[in-house]
Order: sequence, then C-alpha cells, then structure tokens
Amino acid sequence: MPAFISGFDEQNKRISTQHLLQKIYAALDRGETEFEVLASGHHDIGGPLWTTDGRPLKFTVRNPGQRVGSFGLEGTEIVVEGPAPADVGWLNAGATLTLKGDGGDTTGHCSASGKIYVGGRAGTRTGSLMKHDPSYDAPELWILKNTGSFSFEFMGGGIAVVCGYDSEQFESVLGDRACIGMVGGTIYVRGPVEGLSKQVWLLDLDEADREFLLSNMPVFLEKIGRPQLLAELTDLSRWKKIVAMTWEERQRQDRITMKEFRTRKWVEGGIFGDVVEDDYERVVNFVNAGEDRLKVPHWQNKLFGAPCQTACPTGIPTQDRINLLRQGKVKEALELVLTYSPFPASVCGQVCPNLCKDACSRQFIDHPVAMQELGRLSQEAAAPEKKPATGKKVAIIGGGPGGLSAAWQLSLLGHGVTLFEGDREVGGKLRQAIPMERLPREILDSEINRIKKMGTDIRTSQKIDKETFESLQADYDVLVIASGAHNPVVIPFPGHERLKKGLDFLKAINNGEKPKVGRKVVVIGAGNAGMDVALGAYAMGADKVVAIDVQRPAAYQKEIDHFTALGGEIQWPVFTERIDGNGLHTKDGRLIEADTVIISIGERPDLSYVPREWLTDRGMMDVSECWQSVRNAKVFAIGDTIKPGLLTHAIAGGREVAEYIDAYLNGWELVPRKKPEMIPQEKLSRELFMPQNRGRFRVTDAKNEVHRCLSCGTCRDCSMCLETCPEGAIVRTEKEDGTAEYTSDDRYCIGCGICAGICPCGVWAMEKMIV
Amino acid sequence: METVKINDLACNDLPWKVLYDTKRCTLCGSCVAACTFGAIKPKVERRRKSFSDTETPEPKITFSATPVITQVNILKHFCRGCGVCERVCPNNAIRSERNPDSRFNVVYQATTASGPKRGGRNNLEVQARTLDTIRVGRISQMTDPSLDAERHTFDCLAPLGRVLPATKLPFTLGPDGKLTKSGQTPPLHWIYPIIIGDMSIGALSWRMWEAVSMAVAYLNEECGLPVRQCSGEGGMPVRLLKSKYLKYVILQIASGHFGWNRIIKAMPHMVEDPGGVLIKIGQGAKPGDGGLLMAAKVASHIQSIRGVPKTDLLSPPNHQGLYSIEESVQKMFLSFNAAFKFRVPVAIKVAASATSVSVFNNLVRDPYNIVGGFFLDGIDGGTGAAHDISLDHTGHPVVSKLRDCYLAACAQGRQGQIPLWAAGGLGKTGNLAADAFKMFCLGANGVFTGKLMLQLAGCLGNEHSRCNACNTGLCPAGITTQEPLLVRRLDPDRVAENIVNYFLGVDKELRKLMAPIGNSSLPVGRSDCLISTDKAVADRLQVQYVC
Repeated sequence: MPAFISGFDEQNKRISTQHLLQKIYAALDRGETEFEVLASGHHDIGGPLWTTDGRPLKFTVRNPGQRVGSFGLEGTEIVVEGPAPADVGWLNAGATLTLKGDGGDTTGHCSASGKIYVGGRAGTRTGSLMKHDPSYDAPELWILKNTGSFSFEFMGGGIAVVCGYDSEQFESVLGDRACIGMVGGTIYVRGPVEGLSKQVWLLDLDEADREFLLSNMPVFLEKIGRPQLLAELTDLSRWKKIVAMTWEERQRQDRITMKEFRTRKWVEGGIFGDVVEDDYERVVNFVNAGEDRLKVPHWQNKLFGAPCQTACPTGIPTQDRINLLRQGKVKEALELVLTYSPFPASVCGQVCPNLCKDACSRQFIDHPVAMQELGRLSQEAAAPEKKPATGKKVAIIGGGPGGLSAAWQLSLLGHGVTLFEGDREVGGKLRQAIPMERLPREILDSEINRIKKMGTDIRTSQKIDKETFESLQADYDVLVIASGAHNPVVIPFPGHERLKKGLDFLKAINNGEKPKVGRKVVVIGAGNAGMDVALGAYAMGADKVVAIDVQRPAAYQKEIDHFTALGGEIQWPVFTERIDGNGLHTKDGRLIEADTVIISIGERPDLSYVPREWLTDRGMMDVSECWQSVRNAKVFAIGDTIKPGLLTHAIAGGREVAEYIDAYLNGWELVPRKKPEMIPQEKLSRELFMPQNRGRFRVTDAKNEVHRCLSCGTCRDCSMCLETCPEGAIVRTEKEDGTAEYTSDDRYCIGCGICAGICPCGVWAMEKMIV
Repeated sequence: METVKINDLACNDLPWKVLYDTKRCTLCGSCVAACTFGAIKPKVERRRKSFSDTETPEPKITFSATPVITQVNILKHFCRGCGVCERVCPNNAIRSERNPDSRFNVVYQATTASGPKRGGRNNLEVQARTLDTIRVGRISQMTDPSLDAERHTFDCLAPLGRVLPATKLPFTLGPDGKLTKSGQTPPLHWIYPIIIGDMSIGALSWRMWEAVSMAVAYLNEECGLPVRQCSGEGGMPVRLLKSKYLKYVILQIASGHFGWNRIIKAMPHMVEDPGGVLIKIGQGAKPGDGGLLMAAKVASHIQSIRGVPKTDLLSPPNHQGLYSIEESVQKMFLSFNAAFKFRVPVAIKVAASATSVSVFNNLVRDPYNIVGGFFLDGIDGGTGAAHDISLDHTGHPVVSKLRDCYLAACAQGRQGQIPLWAAGGLGKTGNLAADAFKMFCLGANGVFTGKLMLQLAGCLGNEHSRCNACNTGLCPAGITTQEPLLVRRLDPDRVAENIVNYFLGVDKELRKLMAPIGNSSLPVGRSDCLISTDKAVADRLQVQYVC
C-alpha cells in the first residue's frame, strides 16, 4: 500500500508546499517507498529523494503544481495522473517521469538525465537547456503531441521526441523559432516544422534513429497508456531529426563572398565601368614597380647646362672639358675649348671677369673651379681640324675679339675668310685697350698666331668706308660687321673739353705713348673699362685716383679690388656738375680735386660706312635674333656694333654668327640658338664632395680640377645612383666613345627618387605620375 | 654655410615633423616611393668631423657623405601625418609626429593669402562627447520583462517618408467591417535606421563609392538589412540609375544641382524608383558653406557627370531659388515629390543650428503631406573639403538640437509624423550602435553616417588632425582621390566586406541594447532609458542625472 500524502489538512484546507513535502520526508523516513500524492498545486514533488538501501521510490501524483519531479534522482519514478503546469522534470537528474496529460511551459527544462514522458502537449520553451552528462545515459523527453514556441532553446544534449499526434491544426509542431541557440542533442519530430533556427540541421532518419524510435516508442506509449497509437507513430516516413550544427559548422559563413556578389549579381562591369577604366581586380601596394609607381626617374644627361657654361657668354662647357680630362683625354679636353673660343688663354686665362667662376657650384663647397688656369692650359693647344673648303667667301670687318672669333669659327667650318682690320695689327681692344700687365703680349700673340695659321686672309690698316663696304657686298657671299665701338661717349657738361677720353688714353698707353696724367686723377665711370683706365692712370704716375659713378659700380669685384689695392677710391652715386682747373664739381656742391679727369663711360660704334637705314635709332646695327641685318640678309653683325658687352660677348658673337652664317650659306633656315637652362643648385648633391680647406687652398695643376668639378647637369659617371638604388634597377651602359649611359629598369624601379635625390650632377629627375 | 632666412619655411612651421633615424634606415626607398604628398625626399647629408686622438692637439678630419631621407619644407608638400612612411618602413626608421609648436596657420595665410583647407573632421574639440556622458541606465531585470538579444525578434526599422497619424489615413470603414483605402498615402519606406550618408562620387574615389553601393546592395540582398545609401551631391553613375539597385539609393539634390541632368535623362530607363530624395540645405561640418570639390579631384568622369570643366567646384552656400522655409517646402519638396510622381519619399537635410527648431516646426505642419523626413547634421560630421575656419569655428552639436526638435514635435502631438534623422560624428569613437541607440532614445527615428565608412575602408586619418587630406586628391588610401594610381590601392571588395560586416555587427549590438530595455522595436523617444553622469547634459536633455 502506498503512503497517501494529502495536500489538505483535517479541515480540508490546503496545506503549504513546505508542509506537504515534509509529510513526504516523514513517510520516507518511516521506510515508505511508494507514495500517492493528492496535491493542490504544490511545487517540487518528487525529488531529490532517495533511499539509503537503494530501494526505488514511486510517486503517483494528482494535481501537482510547478516543477513536479524536479531534481529527480535515479530510482525515482513519478506518474502524474493528468496535466501539470510549468517546469515538469526541471533539472531532472535521473528520475522517470510520466505525465498523462499536457505539460506546462519549460517542460523538461534543464533535464540532464532520466526520462520524461508527456502524454499530451508541452508548453513554450519545452526542452530548453537540456543537457547530457556523458557519464550517464542521455536524458529523454517524449511528447505525444506538440510544443509551444521557442522549444529546445539552447539545448545542449539529450534526446527529445515530439510525436506530433493530434497536431494537424498547427503550422509547426515545435512552435515558432524552435531550437534557437541549440548546440547539442537530438530532436525527433513528426509533422511540420516552421521557423526553425538557422543553426540546426533538419535531417532524415538514419538506421540508428529508426532503431531508437522503434524500440522505445512502445515503452513511451505504454507509459502514457496509448499503446494503440503504435502503428501510427512507428510509420517513420513522417519523422525527421534535428541536430545542432557543430561549432565548426556554425563558424562557416553561408553568405557569398563580396567578389562573388560583384561578379555574379552586381551591375556588370561596375557602375563606373562606362566612365573609368578599371578592372577592379588589381589592388596595388603602397610601394610598387612599373606602371604603378607614383614617380618615374629619367636620366636627363645634359638637359640642364652647368652654371659655368650658361653663365659664360661664349657658353664654354667646362664640365665637358673636365669630363674629357677625367676620361684621360687631355688633348681632346684642351682642344674642346678651342671650338668655342680661340682665346682660352688670353681671355679665359687672363682678362675675362670669369662669370663662369662666379656661377660655379664648387664655390659653395670651397672655391670655384680654376677656370683661368684651365684656360691657360689651352694656350698651346693645337687648332681643331678644319672642315673641307666650301668655296664660300666671307668678309669680316674688324679684327677685334669678335671678328677674330668669327674668322676662327668660319675657317673651321671650311669657309674662305677675309678679315679687314683698320689698325696695324689685329686684336682690337685686347691689344689696344687692355693693360699689358693684365694680358701679356706673348699670350695674345700666340693665340692670334693660332688664328692666323688657320689660313684667314688678314688685311690690316684697311679702313672701310661706304664705297669699300659696297664693293665688299659685291665680292663676298657674306659680310660680318665686327668693327666694335671705338667712339668714346662724352657728356657735354661745362668743362667737358678738359676731359681725356678713356679709350684713347688706354690705346695711347698700349701704343707706348706714355700719355701724361696729373697727380690727382678722377675717372668718370667705374665700370670694367673705367677700372682699366684708373689702373692706367696709376701706371702713368698718378698718386691718387678717384673713380666716380652715378650708380653702383658695374666693374667686377676682382677689378675693383685690384684698383683699391693701389689706393684707388670709388665714390657713388656722384653726379657731375662741371669740370674746371680744380677738378670735378659734383651736383651736390662738392669738389673732387683733380689735375686730370678721364671719362670712361663707354663707346659707341662708328658705323658710318653702313647705310643709315640699316641702323637702329641708337646707331647700332639693326639685326635679327640670328645677328642678321634686317635690311640685308648677307650682312651679319656682332659684338659692340649691336650692343656694348664684354670681350667674351664678342667672342660668343663670333662663334654664334659663324653657325648662322654656315646655315645661311647652306640655304638652311636660321633658328636662334637656345642656351641650355642653368641647372638649379638644389638639383645637385654638393654634399658628396669633401670641402678643401680654403685657407690652404692652392691650384697646382689645373688638370686636378677633375676632382673638384661637380659636373653640373652632365653625368660624371660616378655610379653613385647605381650603387645606391635600393632595387638595383639602374644599369650602366658604356658607349663606343667611352661615355656611359644610365637607365632605370621599369620592372624593378619603385620610383623612390633616391637616384635623383643623391645624384651629384643633378642628372636624374623624377617625373610625377600624380598631381 | 647654410643660407636660411627668417621667413624661409622650416619644418618647425609645419603641423607634422618627420622623425628619421639614419642608423636604422637601410635606404630601401619605400617611404619616399609611397608618400603621396611629396613630403619627404632623399638627399645627401655631409658628415664632417674634426677630432684629435693624441696627447697633444693633432687635428684629423673624417668626412663622409650619406644618403638620407628628409622632410620637404615646401608649403604645398607639407607632411599630413598620414603615417604611410611609418607603415611601409621595415625598420621603424621614420615616422611623423604632431608638431605642437606648428605655426602653420600663420605661415599658410601669410604665404597664400587664404586660409588652409582640409578634408575630414572637427579637430578642435576638447571636451568629452555628449553621447559619452550618457549610458543606457534603465535595464529591465525584474521590473519589466527583458528580452534576449540573441533569440527575440527585433524590429530595427525606421520610417523614411511622411507618416500620417491614424486619423488622417485615407481609410473608410466598409459595411463588412473592413477598412478600404480611399486615397493615396504619401510614400513611406521602413528602412534600416542607419543611412550611409551623403558622400559624392567626386568626394570619393570611384572604387570607394562603388564599394559603398555594393555593400548596401549586399546588405539588402544577402543579409536582409534594408540599408540605404545617400548619393551625396554630385550626380550618380548612370549604370546604377538604370539598375535594380537604384532602390537602395537616396538621391541628393544640393545647391549646385550637380549631376541631375543625367538623373533626369535616366528616368525613362529606370527599372526601380530610387529609395528617396534628400534635399541638402546644409552640412554639419561646414554649416553656411557650400560644397567644395578641389580641382585635383575633378576627374574627367566627374566633369562629364557634373557638366563642368576641371576647376575647384563650389556649390553655393544657399539654394539659389529658395528664400524662406515656406519656399523650400513649397518648391523643393513639391518638385521632388513630383519628380517621381509622388511615389518616392523626399526629405530635407539641414545643418544643426540655433534656429533648427523653427525650421522643423515649420515643416512639421506639412499640410500637403510631402515632407518625408528632417535630417539634422551636427558639427562633428565629416567633409571632403572645407576651409579650416568653417571646420574649426562654425557649427552646432547635434544631440541637444535633435532633442529640441523631438520635444517640439511632442509638444504639438506630432512626433513621428516627420521622421527625424540625425548625424554628425556618430560612430566617431568606433561604436555606431551605441551612438545610434542613444540618439533613438532622445528622439531620432534614425541616424546617418559617412565618415565612419572611410574608417572602414582603411582611412589613415583620425579626429586629431592626422592626414585630413581628403581635399587634396592625394588620399594615400585611395579613398578620396581620383588619381588612378592611388585608387588602385583600394580593394573595393574588401571595403564592401568591411562595411557589410560592420553593419551586421551594429545590428547585433543594437539588439544588445534594445533587449535590456525591453524594446523589440526602436526605442524612439525613450529617454527614460538614458541616464547621464553629467548634470548639465542631463538637465539639457531631460534625462536622469546619476552619479
């Protein structure tokens, strides 16, 4: 006889859950193992209870409250004769629990072993958080009909069987959103399932599943008293199995990749495919070679001129001279300059203010390259080879530096040259006006001889007038007017008749006439010629020379230093009011005492032999950019007949005009020569050169300047780029003439610009491929 | 001898200093090859030392000339601090460091007679962000049923379009007890509450813009998130106009009206309506200033789509044809409702301003039911290009303004009728979901975001003036440039994937906030959920102050 446990007291009033449970404990302590419980919504009936001797416990319960069979242990069997509210078999730990009617919400919640049989429906969240401890048999939860929504949430293990009997009215026998968060266990289900979690598999049964259902279904039906349903429920064709995805399976992304989306579903060819060129496939790095570089290097040898070359009016490329020396081609180096000027020793080496040196990049390291010494090296150099005779005849009027330069160049080009000189000897101002101590005669003569040896027909003491000029035009293919400027400019201030003319003064000195000067001399004009005059005045015995100018003296510093070293004084700005026996009176009322006043503010050309209409308003030859008379195509003019300039300008004129004349004689179009642009200093890596101590600096042999010249704008073939290029992309190719060419291989170059950044010569340049 | 003069530009004048360690450098050239700004260059350094190593002075000299990398002191090439040099350096030999002593503003204006410009963001901010003083403080535990972010269904949707109150709906009750519709209702789309905002095809590289479009299409088609993208002013790629994906794009019209020629011409070929139209009046990052696209970015396809030559493109600060709030409603809203036959919602975007509530109040009346949304853009928003002075010294934060507008609507019992959308630095600290959620609670129906997309794409910039060179067209990440060489740096698939992943993450995170407060739909106006640790913020926004 089972012990009868009533949920009511003697007055038939409901007792509390605690009271009822304690009645069960008392009976258990008395040795009872079978209980018939008449409950009235009492909670927690059935567990966790046990016997010390292992005898099984059996509860038959009617009308239980929530959590019937909760914590039930193995050896406990609970039968509920009807429905039960929530949490049937909650945390079931091994009991067998049979519910003849429906179960409430969360039936079997957290059960981890034992068996729960429900003979009706089960509520929402049924089977949630079921687990399986592998040390024990898996928990089973059998439900005859269906469950509410959210069933088997977070299920972690165990077996659930939902038979779907009498559930035809439901869209899903597991309710909506079943198995959310399910990570383990197996659910067998018969009937439709909708809204199932995406993270479980809905599968067909396999043999083991069939075996399980067929062998356990009779037990279940027996327990709930519905054995007659066996045939219907063991028709396994309507059964499915639900298992959770494994952890690995859940990591798998079931979305298509973006690339698949783009290539299969997205607008074909891209939405910008009609307006930009892009395959969308190629993604480059921050650093790239080839066509993806942000910058591309170019070896621009000789694109820029060296400062010496571009500053020199004659355009002598000293960097080329030095590169020849560097290659051991001494003869070629010394001759090279002769293709630019016949006066390397006289002019470059002696009298030129050496604009090349003022521009030389080396000055920023220590001292400029020794241009004068280099020039002098060429004093005895042999003339270059002449081209074959053309049979063309050119007459040059004037044997000064310009005329001689033109004669030299035209002779080299193979033209027949006749030079007409008014003086007894050629040389022009080089001979007439330059103080001999500045230009020793033997130097000048040796260079003039070199010109003469070229075969130029030099006719001295030939004054040209209108008639002879006319006849020359008839007799020669081309005329070059190079007669210079020999008419000193005089300003007609009061007393101007007292003035000596600077040029005449210098000519007289060089002629050996020893012109007289007073003790105190004032020179008006402090240009380079003025300095020569002032020096001449000292040479002629003056004690004190003052040079004045209306503006900052135009003479080169070298000339000024020379003058002031002798005690000379320069004043500026000084405006002359008048000149009298006392000296020069300035506009601001001062007197600069002088016994002699010499004016040296320039000369004008005497072009009286040329038709007046060929001249400009200022009396100069009116010429094109190619030094060609605008009035007569066969007449060219150079030097001071065009514009006052330095000796080197005249030499440049001679060289340039020879090229134009050659073109003219060949019938080619005359195109003005463009001088190369001077290389900007920042393109050079001067830092690569070790400065020499200026205090100890001496030029011993000009040939050693190969170590000092930077070779601005012209590759010096040092291979600094080749060795530094991080990608080893630079290749050096040697050409037949011994010169080298560098290239950067696009396949390897990353466009870092190191070659351009470190090139001593500024030869490499980076082309930007983005704005 | 160096010949440096007092007014020569020096590295000290610039906002960033390049720090370089010659001992670590192998001169691999990567930094100089990668820098898009030309801010560094290779050069040779002379190392000359005199020393004496004997008992008595016996001077010796060592000399070496070493190739190095150095910063370029040219205003046009100033270092932006993008950090690409540091990224590509294999040896940690180079990096850029913010220069606290920069004289850049002074030098720049003294040299160029105009103020500096930049793309990007608000860098002057010194105090904590308002949203960061706010927490979601009402957590339903035992008081109200909380939800489970993982398992519950959430309705994360926001309206774009005019929402009619129930009494205004054109329904009549039939004799069968059923409602029948008796007239046209204004177009109303329920979309994801985060719109990708307003970045034009000129501002972004074509790969970036396409990546955004692709991400949006993917989110809709493959992930079921109805996210929308706003085109920005400056036209649309015609192929997109003619594709089915147009439905995910909100077309923008701004004061320059750029690109509408091609949009109109494409209308007969459209297979879908666009997702909406947004009338841009102003932008939070540079209120009162019009759009600006620097010439460097006006590539040929931009020139043709916009119908302009290569030049700096300035949109006027105002719509030339609008003179009042009433007019904007009457003219712009009406025109753009008519443009798509009243089938497409039309909204307006204004910069947050001291007067925003007046504008909103005026729009809220909307007797013709044509106002489909009010977009409020705050000071922290981004921009492709703006004058520094606009970025640094104009603008209005969005949070209190959004709150004011919402409460103004509440006061009239019209909340929710004109959807409120807010933006301006949302997601700036990396968590868009948190910012968005707080804005919803304060009254926003939705939010929009732009700058964050650039971050997702790999933008190297930040809110502290790093990079910010979107305006130059030299974006080192290929995001805001039209230079093919730089655009090639960007992987559009990867960018789209990042955006998709971020949105999926945001979607999960939104639920993580909705669940604890027990809302299964967006908690619009549920300011009771918020608390603030800042008393002033709490008072201003009418949320609970906590400490």
